[in-house]
Amino acid sequence: MDINTQSSPESDGFFRSALAFGGYSGYAAIILFIIGGVWLGGMLPPLLNASDSPAQAVAKVSDNLLAIQIGSIFLIASFALFGSFGAGMAMQVRRYETTPGWSYIQLIFTAAGTTLALIVAFAWALMVFRPETYHPSIVLMWADLAYFIALFSVPVFGGWCVMVALSIFFAEEGNEPFPRWAGYLNLWMVLLFAPGQMIMWFKEGPFAWHGLIAMYLPFIAFFIWIGVMSHLMIKIAKEESK
Amino acid sequence: MSGTSRPRAQVPGEIGIWAFVTGDLIVFSVFFILIAIGQKEMAEVFSTSRESLNLYFGLCNTLLLLTGSWFVAIGVERCRDGQGSDNARWFKLAIGCGLAFVLNKIFEWEAKIGAGFTPLTNDFFMYFFIFTGIHLLHVVVGVVVLIFLLKVSQRPTLNSRDIRTLESGGIFWHLVDLLWIMLFALLYLL
Repeated sequence: MDINTQSSPESDGFFRSALAFGGYSGYAAIILFIIGGVWLGGMLPPLLNASDSPAQAVAKVSDNLLAIQIGSIFLIASFALFGSFGAGMAMQVRRYETTPGWSYIQLIFTAAGTTLALIVAFAWALMVFRPETYHPSIVLMWADLAYFIALFSVPVFGGWCVMVALSIFFAEEGNEPFPRWAGYLNLWMVLLFAPGQMIMWFKEGPFAWHGLIAMYLPFIAFFIWIGVMSHLMIKIAKEESK
Repeated sequence: MSGTSRPRAQVPGEIGIWAFVTGDLIVFSVFFILIAIGQKEMAEVFSTSRESLNLYFGLCNTLLLLTGSWFVAIGVERCRDGQGSDNARWFKLAIGCGLAFVLNKIFEWEAKIGAGFTPLTNDFFMYFFIFTGIHLLHVVVGVVVLIFLLKVSQRPTLNSRDIRTLESGGIFWHLVDLLWIMLFALLYLL
C-alpha cells in the first residue's frame, strides 16, 4: 500500500492518537450498526417494505418492538461516531495544506452527514416509541423519513466522498494525504450511492427504499467506505509512530 | 515533450482508475442482469415497449460516443508521443460529441415522456429511464473530465503526471462508451 509517510508532515503522539481515534471510531460505527441496524433494528435487511400498508407496518413494528427499541440505541451511537471518523480524515488532509481548504470543506460535509444520520436514528426510535398510539400512517411515515434521509441524501454523503477524493487528487504529487487509489474508491462510492435518489418514484422493486439497487447497494457501500478509510487512518497513525 | 520517454508497453493510467473501471463494470453488470431477468420474465412487455423506442436515437448516440472515443484516443496518443501542436482540438471534438449525446438523450426522453411513457409505465421503461439516466450522469461527468483534459493538453510541456492524467481521463471516457454499447444492445436491439 502506497502511503507516503516518507514525505508526510511531522506528527506527534498527540496527533497520531487523534488520527487513530478517528479510524477506530469508524470501526466502532460499523460494529454498532451491525448490532443496532442489522441484528436488532430491522433496518438492513429491511423489516418493512415501501409497499407495506400502514396496518402492515404497525404489525411488523409491534411484533419486534423491544428489539428495534434497543437497536435504536446502538444506531444512534453508531451514527454519532461518523463525526469523529470524518474529522479524522479532515485532520489528515489538513496536515498537507499550507492554508486550510479541503479540510474545512470536508468538515462541513462531515457535520452535515453526521447530523442527517442522527436524524435517521431519531426517526427509527420514534417509529417504535408508541406505535399503538400513533395513527398507523404516522408509523409508516417515520420509516419513510428514516430511509429518505439515509438514501435520498446523495449530494451530502456522495459529496463527502467527492471532497475526500479531490483532496487526494489535488495534493502535491507523491505527497497525498491518502493513497491515490483511495481517491478513486471515493469516486466509485458516489456511483453506488446515486441510485438512492430513485426511491422517490418507487414503492416496489429494486429502486424502492427496501430494494437491491436503491437500498442495499448504498448502505453496504457506505459502511465498506467507512471501513477502508478507517483502516487507512489507523495504518498511517501506526506507521508514523514507528 | 517529456512524455515521450514513457515506455510504450506500460499499462496506461494508474491502478486506481482501473480499480474504478472494474467497480463500475461490476455495478453495471448487476444492471444488465436485471434487464436480462426482466426480459425473461416479461418478454412480451419488454418486446412491445422496445418497439416504441426510436432506434435512430440510440444509434446516433452510439455513433457519437464511438466517434468521441476515437477523438480522445487520438488526442491522448498525440500528447503522449509529443506529436502536433494543437492536440487540444481532439478533446474539443470529443467534448462536442459528449454534449451532442446529452442533447440527443434529452430529445429522446422528451419524446418518450410526451408520448406518455415514464419510469412508472412498466419495468422496461423503469430500467430504460433509470439506467440510461445513470449512464447520462457518467456522460456529464465524462464531459467535465474531458474539459479538464483539454486544459491539460494545452500546457506548453507535458510531464509524466500530465500524461497519466490524460490516460486516466481517456480510460474513463472509453468506459462511458463501453457501458453505452451494452445498454444500447440490451435496451434497443435485444
